Amino acid sequence: MTDQPDTPNTRELRKNQPRFSGMESGHRACLGCGEALAARLVTEAAGPDVVYANATGCLEVFTTAWPESAWRVAWMHSLFENAAAIAAGMEAALKRQGKSTRVIAMGGDGGTFDIGFQALSGMLERGHNVLYVCFDNEAYMNTGIQRSGSTPHAAATTTSPSGKLRMGKRHLKKDIVTIVAAHHIPYAATASVAYPSDIRKKVRRALAIDGPTFLHIHSPCPLGWGHDGSLSIEVARLAVQTGLFPVIELERGGLAGVMPIRELRPVTDYLAIQQRFRHLFADNARAREELEHLQALADHNIEFYQLRGTHPDTRDTEGADTVTRGGMRWA
Amino acid sequence: MQHALEGSQALARTVALCRPQVIAAYPITPQTHIVENLSKLVADGVLDCELVSVESEFSAASVVLGAVAAGSRSYTASSSQGILLMAEVLFNIAGLRIPLVLTCANRAVSGPLSIWNDQQDSMAVRDAGWIQLYCANNQEAVDTTIQAFRIAEQCELPVMVCVDGFTLTHTLEVIDLPEQEQVDNMLPPFDFERRLDPQNPISIGTLVSPDFFTEARYSHHTALMEALDVIEQAAQSWQAISGRTQYPLLRSSGPEDARIAILTLGSVSGTLEAALEEYPDEPATRLIALRSFRPFPIEALQQACQGLTDLIVLERALSPGSGGIVGSEVRAAFSGVVDAPRIHNFSVGLGGRDIPLDIFPRLHAALRNGDGLPFAVIDLEPDRLPVSA
Amino acid sequence: MGMRLTPGAFAHPGSSLRYHTGSWRMQRPFHRHRAAPCHTACPSGEDAQAWLALVEQERFREAWECIVRANPLPAITGRVCHHPCEHACNRGRFDQPVAIHHVERWLGDRAIQEGWDYPAAAAAPAGTPVAVVGSGPSGCSAAWHLAQQGYPVHLYEALPVAGGLLRSALPPYRLPRTLLESELERLLSTPIDFRPAQRLGRDYSLAELQADYAAVYLAPGTQRSRAWDIDGATPHDLHIGLDLLKRWVDVGSIPEWSSVAIVGGGNTAIDLARVIRHAGVKEVHVITHQSLPHAGIRQEDAMPAIVREIEQALEEGVIIHEHRGVQRLVLRGERVVGLELVHRKKMREQQATRRFVSFEGTESLLYADQVIPAIGQTVDPKGLEALLDHASHLAADAVGRVTGHPGIYTGGDARGDRGSVTEAIGDGRVAALAIARDLQRLKDSDTTEPVPVAYDELNLNYFERQARPATPRLPVDRRTAEAEVTGSLQRAEVVGEGQRCLSCGNCMTCDNCWTLCPDVAVLKTRDPEDENSGYVFDYDYCKGCGLCAHECPTAYIVMEDET
Repeated sequence: MTDQPDTPNTRELRKNQPRFSGMESGHRACLGCGEALAARLVTEAAGPDVVYANATGCLEVFTTAWPESAWRVAWMHSLFENAAAIAAGMEAALKRQGKSTRVIAMGGDGGTFDIGFQALSGMLERGHNVLYVCFDNEAYMNTGIQRSGSTPHAAATTTSPSGKLRMGKRHLKKDIVTIVAAHHIPYAATASVAYPSDIRKKVRRALAIDGPTFLHIHSPCPLGWGHDGSLSIEVARLAVQTGLFPVIELERGGLAGVMPIRELRPVTDYLAIQQRFRHLFADNARAREELEHLQALADHNIEFYQLRGTHPDTRDTEGADTVTRGGMRWA
Repeated sequence: MQHALEGSQALARTVALCRPQVIAAYPITPQTHIVENLSKLVADGVLDCELVSVESEFSAASVVLGAVAAGSRSYTASSSQGILLMAEVLFNIAGLRIPLVLTCANRAVSGPLSIWNDQQDSMAVRDAGWIQLYCANNQEAVDTTIQAFRIAEQCELPVMVCVDGFTLTHTLEVIDLPEQEQVDNMLPPFDFERRLDPQNPISIGTLVSPDFFTEARYSHHTALMEALDVIEQAAQSWQAISGRTQYPLLRSSGPEDARIAILTLGSVSGTLEAALEEYPDEPATRLIALRSFRPFPIEALQQACQGLTDLIVLERALSPGSGGIVGSEVRAAFSGVVDAPRIHNFSVGLGGRDIPLDIFPRLHAALRNGDGLPFAVIDLEPDRLPVSA
Repeated sequence: MGMRLTPGAFAHPGSSLRYHTGSWRMQRPFHRHRAAPCHTACPSGEDAQAWLALVEQERFREAWECIVRANPLPAITGRVCHHPCEHACNRGRFDQPVAIHHVERWLGDRAIQEGWDYPAAAAAPAGTPVAVVGSGPSGCSAAWHLAQQGYPVHLYEALPVAGGLLRSALPPYRLPRTLLESELERLLSTPIDFRPAQRLGRDYSLAELQADYAAVYLAPGTQRSRAWDIDGATPHDLHIGLDLLKRWVDVGSIPEWSSVAIVGGGNTAIDLARVIRHAGVKEVHVITHQSLPHAGIRQEDAMPAIVREIEQALEEGVIIHEHRGVQRLVLRGERVVGLELVHRKKMREQQATRRFVSFEGTESLLYADQVIPAIGQTVDPKGLEALLDHASHLAADAVGRVTGHPGIYTGGDARGDRGSVTEAIGDGRVAALAIARDLQRLKDSDTTEPVPVAYDELNLNYFERQARPATPRLPVDRRTAEAEVTGSLQRAEVVGEGQRCLSCGNCMTCDNCWTLCPDVAVLKTRDPEDENSGYVFDYDYCKGCGLCAHECPTAYIVMEDET
């Protein structure tokens, strides 16, 4: 019934994979977790000579149920709000020791946009040679789907539910990458789990730079966003193709790169498949207005970042992960 | 070598001798002079380390946590609001068994706002799991700081060296600063076994379920209790190197046959020593200067109090709604002990109020009047507050 | 104390492997090779997806060998097949179908150029031979497949040369003579005992075949023209379409007419129309009750002729009258001078039967000095009287067993429900397999047709739109009766078409599943240096999230409930 050979020796196979294993199987992430995938891709691309500072959140919880750890890299979790400061300390130490080992800080949107914002800003301002990666699933997911500064406008969470008086989150999504870039750091970029080659390329690009760098990765949460785990990549892709999540690169505050949208999709394609936007499809004027608002926000992004390329680009939304026979789509 | 130095200056130079690789600096009165002096030492090339001027105390503690985890000896200092802001990190550092030295320049805690000396700040974090050592004078502060690195790195526990703000930090004293060679003898290069190393990767800071948390927390407690011996050994080692006698856990001075003793932490002991000479007609009194508050030296204290009928616990802190903090712990130490002395607990000098020498006869008077209260604020003046308040 | 203590509860790397998250699963992924639509659509049973994958890797010889394992005449079918594979091709819905037909032609031509040997048979021929009557595409295919399975084959042909309709009725501008000769010669030099100039009914009988051979495959084609008249009237010099075409192919000349009307909508009608145009006849009309094959016209309503051939006919000036029938012949004496045309359609009835309806009031006159019917043929009964019993075609089951006559099989045009070279080739293959099973007394396998991968099952986000290359076509003013009109693709274009193949239902080792599994539960097998690594699922850890299946571009991964 299957083409899979009988009982392959997976233990041995696992040791011989043609890629660096930073995050191992056996972690407790939900089915189809976008953040787990993003973290796996980041550690893969960064390689072994790195130490990690991870903020409190889903990622550290599902990877380190003591005495087990899914990490194969040197890794530390301290608190919710200090990943950037821990990373700064690690960087100072390794610099003083004359080591080439790099430092990567990892945090969710809560730990980056909100509670960890101060530490991040301080680290950036002081110019530490640290790559900060934010896995953005747009809410405090670990504590059960509460709204954060990153939650998009009109999304429903447990602390911004929809109801008779409210249509989900009132406020807009904080524009973190622009704020970060305003620190005049050498490199700040957004990426999405829908484009794994792009993530790998950006991790390597950031690590090749001396100084603070920032990578904001859009990572769907099936449980929190209300979709099947098998659709995480699809959802992430639609966020990019609608213009709601622009994939851009900023150097010293100026726009340096854009992933153009080759085939534009209306925001409803993205919103309709997530339960957290379900209230926007009710038959009433407020819902319709909010849909228009979200479309307007997408249109604004498209205009502001010039997201419609004028001609096909190998790094646009259709070309970025084109498959070829034989694979190995390395950036 | 002997120098006339302000307390903070002496501490800065001592820290420099300990060869830290990373220092986190954030200003707060009355600790600021320490980090300012350290900054100058770095700028002049005397101290070769990464000085990270962080954006809050929370980050100061986090930066040094990360630095030690990455294998570098590190240091920071704070007081009062800063200690409380970094409280979450302090618990984290201790629970993760990260060896670190931090100077707490004791200061009262807001609100209301005060920049002056009392010990509420370090007392507020006594349960964080740190070793807490109180210094009676600046020479002790210097010597204790050096020993602290040794203790921390041997026990894999963080050490808070408590130094009364302004009273010690801003006072000029003659200090015998050790030579670099002496400090190097005392402190071998830091080699943290659990450091984050890509060659030998581990995961620090895991999630521990109810299945294991009790044993994990108990392991921490055990380590602190075992630190009592390490504190003593460190004092002996430093004595051998510097020639200065140290009292590792507590110092007991005064007439052997005295039946009354006064227990203090920090610089108050110096005031009482002078008071003993100033008021010779008061009953014979021993002075017990407690150095190690955490771990709490129950055995040493019981021994020092042999034969006493009364023990006065005089502290610069107060737990609102309860009473004395040190007093409660002392009472607990004597619970169930046969022939335990009567314990009289007083708070004094809160918010930096000056402690005059006549505190000594006033304490004895309070003893004689014996109003039987478990606790009182000895220098309380009922009519002090302005009429309009 | 002796109790175990921990300094801060740190953990060792990869220790999470102790926890088998596979226990969470409600469903699990499987690799399942499924049929691509090009495969299920191919009448000769070729797995186009399989050989296109080889073409993409520039393994041309292996690609050709893959084709001939089903169809031994690719240089021919690559020119004359109506390519249902391309109509079924899922890429057609994405941008344009893969040019499967042209790639097959290129491979067939290359095999001839390079002299690639046909693959050897499974075993040397042994046992009682099998007889095949007719060396058209069906007979050649049956002979080839029987030989491949190790049966000695005697291939009988009435004419001195092989090929059947391929030779006699396909004009050279569609199928060049040299190419036909080369392909047939190469095929017949494999262990097939070719016996030309032996006519059934004259030189040997069916009874003799039944006595001497283990089995008999009859592929006589339909050599006899249907009777045709319009209300009882026919031209005195009636030429039947196929006969005329054959004569022209053979002799090369057409009588000099000024205007000709051909009745019929199939390949014969179109071929004849073009031949007559090339010969210089000014007006050539094709009359058909069916539709021109515009976009949106259902296949059952369209003219059955190959679209490309219709297009080329129109380019060459052939006039096609769709939805018309001939109501009446206009005769002057016995000479035809014209036809009365009427609007005519075949109406669909409730029981799926159809009937012709001519619409009163739509009559018109078309002046022509010749009207040629090209409306189909029947089996020549000579030698087959016992089997046919006055029927027009041989009745047989799905795999070719002639009804009521064990040991006798048939396929191709003779069956009556076919119309193409490729179907004939497919019949030959299927019958050869049935003969083998019957001789070994094996049962027919449970032939449930595999459901091909549908367009919606693919994940096309991983492909970029790309047009197929235009096939070169001789400009109209340079077309003659002989020169091949349709040209060949270039090698780079051929490889490009292999790349455009979506690999429906089969792994293309794109690494998507391996890249996208959040749980590291997809592992690469084989040597990582080898580009054709496969993958396995590590079911100890796979949580059954289904990301791999959803993002598999080729629908090769399916999720099934955990039992």
